[in-house]
Amino acid sequence: MTKRNYTTVNPCVMCQPMGSALAFKGIENTMVLYHGSQGCSTYMRLHLAHHFREPVDIASSSLSEKGAIYGGRENLKKGLRNVINRYKPKVIGVATTCLAETIGDDVPAIIREFKEEEGIGDDLEKDIIIISVSTPSYGESHVSGYIKALDAIVRKFTEKPEDPEKTKILEDIEFLDYMEDLEIIEYAETLEKEKAEENVGEAKNPDMTEVLKSKLNLIPVESVSPADVRELKEILAETAGDYIFLPDISETFDAPLGEELPKIAAGGTALSEIADMSNSRASLGLGVVSTNLAVRYLEASHGVSGHNVPIPIGLSNTDLYFTELVRILSCPIPEKYQKERGRLLDAMVDVHKYLYGVKAAVYGDPDTVFSLTTFMLELGMNPVLVATGSKSRDFEKKIKQIFEEIRPELEPVALDGIDFDSLNDAVSECNPEILIGNSNGRYIAKAHDIPLVRVGLPIHDRVGAQRILTVGYRGALELLDRITNTILEATDTFTAPEQIEPAAYTGQGTKDDCAEGA
Amino acid sequence: MKEKTGIVDTLEERQPYITRKQEKGQTIPLACDNNSLAGAISQRACVYSGARVVLNPVTDAVHLVHGPIGCAGYTWDIRGAKSSGIETNRSSFSTDMKEIDIVFGGEEKLSNAIDELAGIYHPPVIFVYSTCIVGIIGDDLDSVCKTASQKHNIPVLPVKSEGFKGNKSDGYKAACDALKQLIKRPEEETAEKKPGVNPKIRKPKINILGDFNVAGDVWLVKPLFEQMGIEVIVSMTGDSTAKSITRAAEADLNLVQCSGSMAYLAKWMQKEYGIPYQTISFFGIEDISIALRKTAEYFDSEEMKKIAEEILETETNRIMPDISRIRERIKGKKAAIYMGGPAKALTLIKGFAELGMEVVIIGTQTGKKEDYEQISYSVRDGTVIVDDANPLELAELLVKQKADLMVAGVKERFIAYKLGVAFCDFNHDRVMEFEGFDGFVNFAREVDASINSPVWKAVRQRTLEPESLKPGYLHSKSDAAVESHV
Repeated sequence: MTKRNYTTVNPCVMCQPMGSALAFKGIENTMVLYHGSQGCSTYMRLHLAHHFREPVDIASSSLSEKGAIYGGRENLKKGLRNVINRYKPKVIGVATTCLAETIGDDVPAIIREFKEEEGIGDDLEKDIIIISVSTPSYGESHVSGYIKALDAIVRKFTEKPEDPEKTKILEDIEFLDYMEDLEIIEYAETLEKEKAEENVGEAKNPDMTEVLKSKLNLIPVESVSPADVRELKEILAETAGDYIFLPDISETFDAPLGEELPKIAAGGTALSEIADMSNSRASLGLGVVSTNLAVRYLEASHGVSGHNVPIPIGLSNTDLYFTELVRILSCPIPEKYQKERGRLLDAMVDVHKYLYGVKAAVYGDPDTVFSLTTFMLELGMNPVLVATGSKSRDFEKKIKQIFEEIRPELEPVALDGIDFDSLNDAVSECNPEILIGNSNGRYIAKAHDIPLVRVGLPIHDRVGAQRILTVGYRGALELLDRITNTILEATDTFTAPEQIEPAAYTGQGTKDDCAEGA
Repeated sequence: MKEKTGIVDTLEERQPYITRKQEKGQTIPLACDNNSLAGAISQRACVYSGARVVLNPVTDAVHLVHGPIGCAGYTWDIRGAKSSGIETNRSSFSTDMKEIDIVFGGEEKLSNAIDELAGIYHPPVIFVYSTCIVGIIGDDLDSVCKTASQKHNIPVLPVKSEGFKGNKSDGYKAACDALKQLIKRPEEETAEKKPGVNPKIRKPKINILGDFNVAGDVWLVKPLFEQMGIEVIVSMTGDSTAKSITRAAEADLNLVQCSGSMAYLAKWMQKEYGIPYQTISFFGIEDISIALRKTAEYFDSEEMKKIAEEILETETNRIMPDISRIRERIKGKKAAIYMGGPAKALTLIKGFAELGMEVVIIGTQTGKKEDYEQISYSVRDGTVIVDDANPLELAELLVKQKADLMVAGVKERFIAYKLGVAFCDFNHDRVMEFEGFDGFVNFAREVDASINSPVWKAVRQRTLEPESLKPGYLHSKSDAAVESHV
């Protein structure tokens, strides 16, 4: 492997503000504004439009040279004013870019000033809610941007009216965090401690009737597809009944062609629901590799017990998901899902020989990769290479752990913080037969003549990214069919000419029949 | 200005940027060439983006982005610019700056990154792009690049493209400044390149500037000049190499297609090397004809003029049956144009005229005063002209002007689709050649395919109302059946 210490070649992550847009676009009537130079908003809009095939409006404070030198205060205020004027949003998510962070704009203070000037209060019903999140591109990745934005959203809607003194302290802590290059977990812990101290004694009363009536929060740790959100909501509707799903991009990033083009796409988590998250009986976080700040915050500050399960991709992860639902809700698993599970098992049996020992490389966001890998292991595949572009403290540990649990005889290469060039080198060494990940792996697929099953973000060279279903038993089934058919197709393509020759039938057996163990 | 306001419902500050052509020959003042308004959702990108799109098609260069990961991440292989050989340009190199680099400066990391890449890729040139924060923290790109150039004995060229330092146009200029440093003074230099190089004595040489070989455009154009006995030294920057760019100053003439990005370089080459330039376009039969004729005219060779006419006749005759057939299917339809640069917008007006279509909206991201003047001369009365438009304005205009087709880039595509308007991509990531004769046929086909697809008919009925549904074929079939029974 070519050793590089100073350069990233073909990034496998996007930047923090992009992640924030994925979160903000999942709440009702919300506009996103990037505080920075014009290009950031344009590029990320382009990127998301390519993937979701929807119009994506993201405003920019369009900082120019003057703003960069004298501060972006006026630009940000003007941007907010114009967004309100034209889009009439209920919420504006303000995410900083690296420019705004580097020139040191105090965004929360500017927003406070703006609200005073415009006479905007904090009333969820009457006022425009402005949520800021600090997301410089030079800190972590889109995954952390997404997590931070969700955290900021939940905080904003569930916090008691602002005490300016305390807010100030919090900002200082956030700033210090960056300067000391703390990882997101430490960041979480600091904030949590801060909140815990403030809100001690606010834990929920254990009145059972109250608990039974209240809702379940569902908060994924990284963005899942609109189809995935729809599936997860359907499951919740049939189990929990009342739930709050944050963020809900099922409509906003996959809007039906309607009578007219609304300024802001309809859908998203209702604001009153977000405000109600602090009254829920529990929060279920999807994802176990990255830290779900929103779930932690709700537990620490509002006493809403938090549980985390893997993103329910594959059999055991979906089982875990249902088990946790049953445990929290004391509800039965609807017959429908028992049947779906049975169909998945049936399909797994049907195809197990095609998949056994097939060497796979999977890459993408940490928790998606974790869950996909689990699924491959239970299918008998051999994920020889498991990688994420995000820097993640727990990734390798967690991956090794599931290998230990399911197929301890296998020895995967697990990499975090990689770029596609390193992934390419790793592919050369590990020799996978199939790639599973986003579109940017297509160069590797082509170079090594390995088929690629597209999962994740971005998928811009094929249609249907919005409709790719991976979660739940149905998602597992769809994914299973796609993977198997891809393998079969590759086998057909390579063996087709030989099959015309009688020699091909002389008892050599096919690769599938004598699939090697690992 | 009364006529300038109220065309669409938009911010007051945006009103001077939208106008309507009122009467023939009238020049309309249109506000333009300013920074985008905060919060207005401009479709524009930044200085870095301008520089990146212009330089990125240099195929064998390492394009190193000095900045945080995002900038390199979103511009990975940004243009569908094809290469006939090496494809180093399709990789995205970044110093991936972190907090620590922001605090202590990124010069050392940059210098190490250059060493690293020079060692691994052995490129003939490295372009180092600066991003927003590099400008803020003040890394000395010039000195790092200079030292690296000497160390590795290759040009390591700083591209000063801090995102906030202006708009895309400033990025074009930064890219041209880098190209300038790559172009070598030819050994045998003629003080002034005079027209009338005798093709019998020496083969005339040209450069094509402002063609990026998107989807292989240049490959449909270059052979035309070669047939005329002209050597095309380099197309900047589509399918170019460091070596071919180095030779650019040997040319007798520069043909400038995308003037927004390359007129600056052409002017410089004229001043520095005495190479005159002509602005041309390779899109649409009329503009290709002008391009070939102008070139032959410039070299003042009867032989060349004759070949040009022969090419034009043969090629036009070859594609005309296709064009005429398609023209019948799309004529009278109304088109909206929203382009990054004005040159493409202008040539599209002619292209649509050749297809019998009418332009009802035309706008650009980076047009200047004289561009909009020229645009206003070229369009019909009533056409809306807009600078630096935003999604809400575009959506309203498409509806008000009853456009049947929009030609723009990806961000605009889904606005059109949601409104039930056909769309044709004429931007970085189209996959079809639109230049040259076959390119124009491709364009016509794509316009036809989009406008005449039955999906638009389906889309007009957006909700299912069973009572009102009377499919024509069921109707006529049953009618026919009834008749036959009678």
